Amino acid sequence: MSASPIDRAAQATPKGLARRIRGLSDRAIAWLFVGPSIVLLLAVNIFPLIWTINLSFTNFKANRLREAKFIGLRNYERILTDTDTWNSMQATAHFLFWTIFFQVLIGFTLAYLINKKFKGNDMWTTIIVLPMMLSPAVVGNFWTFLYQPQIGLFNYVIEFFTGVDSSSFSMIGDVNLAPWSIVIVDTWMWTPFVMLICLAGLRSIPDSIYEAAECDRASKWRQFWTLTIPMALPFLMLAVLFRGIENFKMFDLVVQLTGGGPGSLTTLTSIDLKREAFEKWRTGYASAYAVILFVTVFGLASIYVKALNKVKER
Amino acid sequence: MAEVSLQNISRRYGDQVALDDVTMTVPDGAFVVLLGPTGAGKTTTLRMVSGLDKPDVGKVLINGEDVSRHTPAQRNVAMVFQQYSLYPHLSVRQNLAFPLKSPMLRTPEDEITRKVAEVAETLQISHKLDNKATELSGGEMQRVSIGRALVRDLQIYLMDEPLSSLDAKLRSDLRIVLKRIQTSLGATMLYVTHDQIEAMTMATHVGVLDHGKLVQFGPPREIYQNPVSIYAASRLGSPKINILPADVFPAAPGGAHSIGLRPEHIGIGEGAETRVVRVEHLGDQTRLHLSLNGHDLITLTDPHSPLAKGDTLRISPQSPLYFDANGDRIT
Repeated sequence: MSASPIDRAAQATPKGLARRIRGLSDRAIAWLFVGPSIVLLLAVNIFPLIWTINLSFTNFKANRLREAKFIGLRNYERILTDTDTWNSMQATAHFLFWTIFFQVLIGFTLAYLINKKFKGNDMWTTIIVLPMMLSPAVVGNFWTFLYQPQIGLFNYVIEFFTGVDSSSFSMIGDVNLAPWSIVIVDTWMWTPFVMLICLAGLRSIPDSIYEAAECDRASKWRQFWTLTIPMALPFLMLAVLFRGIENFKMFDLVVQLTGGGPGSLTTLTSIDLKREAFEKWRTGYASAYAVILFVTVFGLASIYVKALNKVKER
Repeated sequence: MAEVSLQNISRRYGDQVALDDVTMTVPDGAFVVLLGPTGAGKTTTLRMVSGLDKPDVGKVLINGEDVSRHTPAQRNVAMVFQQYSLYPHLSVRQNLAFPLKSPMLRTPEDEITRKVAEVAETLQISHKLDNKATELSGGEMQRVSIGRALVRDLQIYLMDEPLSSLDAKLRSDLRIVLKRIQTSLGATMLYVTHDQIEAMTMATHVGVLDHGKLVQFGPPREIYQNPVSIYAASRLGSPKINILPADVFPAAPGGAHSIGLRPEHIGIGEGAETRVVRVEHLGDQTRLHLSLNGHDLITLTDPHSPLAKGDTLRISPQSPLYFDANGDRIT
């Protein structure tokens, strides 16, 4: 009989251990392998989640010694009737919608152009991808300089092209412009990521498909809408999912850039939540807040993933 | 009417010469089979005619008009790709209808439906019309790919090994179907295959390609009987032509290096003595594998031959072909 790797491994197992293992069923061995991961998952994911839900029904404050009191749904009631919360939800929705919109639009366009075979497209890809490799905190920090009305490059460029006096507006300070200032920076930083995913999608379409379409007398326009877009759609949707989840928990970049201001105009839910939990120390309240956000993201993501699977099955 | 003419076409891909000064005129309504091993330039020839690729040097003419710079759409040809190239996100029905939905054609909807159904019927894929293109077997994909070419009644069809993944029965059915369609449309067909039978039964003309060069072009019978070289002679015929040193039989002409004998061109009864190595009874014929002074050759004999392994028999050449040291034909 030829010795397969499995046979050899079995022979190399020490006698005592072999006897003990031999007594185990396949199922038991499977559990043995999966067990450690499950324990870890329970400890760092599931338990904190349950604990958070538990805390969300109390008036617990992590910096006070007094006993937490069960207050039922009071936290939820207060959060959902608080206009500040709704404002930060709105800020988040605005941020989410426009960042995804611009990133997909620009990212797909860039991918489409880069995918054309031309000299140096690898170099361009590397250059385009650079912003993504920086730390969000650093990006937030140096964009505050770019947005500086007197010396900032951004304002200078705007003045150069539109003639609007550069010191007449402040992207970060202005009530109307601040929500857009964070959209611009996030788009600048993460469009390359969307581009990479779109590029993977476009590269997955073999040239021969376009050649067949060429022979079938489909115009470039028709090829784009009936072949390129439908075949790249699962990738596009994946990019939207990734960016959606990432931006829902956006924190560092915005804190560095605007600090949530002016007023609370760019205070996204994650910033709001952090303040409630670790500046005001309203642990119970913040827990309820976290649960609400969790349910929202989880719900949206599930619906979205279902849609995504449907598109993939087509 | 569609006469396709290639004039002095050369094409290189980097260092690779795909086509080297190919000149060939395909008469209207001809069925041309291109033969040659992988890399001989068969597919490149089709791509030149389709317009998917442009020649470095030379011209492509359709009905006398220079179309070298025209796009595939302008040339109005249909091509069946070796790798099928179906639209994976579309159903079989949508795949078949795709060429008809070209805005240039403006085919009415019921006409499209009728045409798709007809083609699906012909290719025996009617029951798969609503499947996604990716849910098919290789042979089904290949038939959809043929169907996508046939939905349009054109004057020029280009097919790159269209029957290669079909089973024997379907292949012989579709061979007849394709030939019938081509004849009834009076279309000009350029067809790539490795299959001897397809070449002999369907072709009106055969083009033999060798490393990008067209070495012989003509009716299949002519190439079979009058090959210009050992290479061309080996492209047609099954079992393959026997190539032996010229001096194994007497009376070789001067300069002859090898002698080529088709299996049926070996007379049994007198001449050089050979030993039977193997006997294959195929039903309608019997193949004899012989050994002549250490050279192997194959011949045919009648189905009920009593010969067995180890027997000896005498053979002599009948209408042999002689080739020089370069493999070129001398007589």
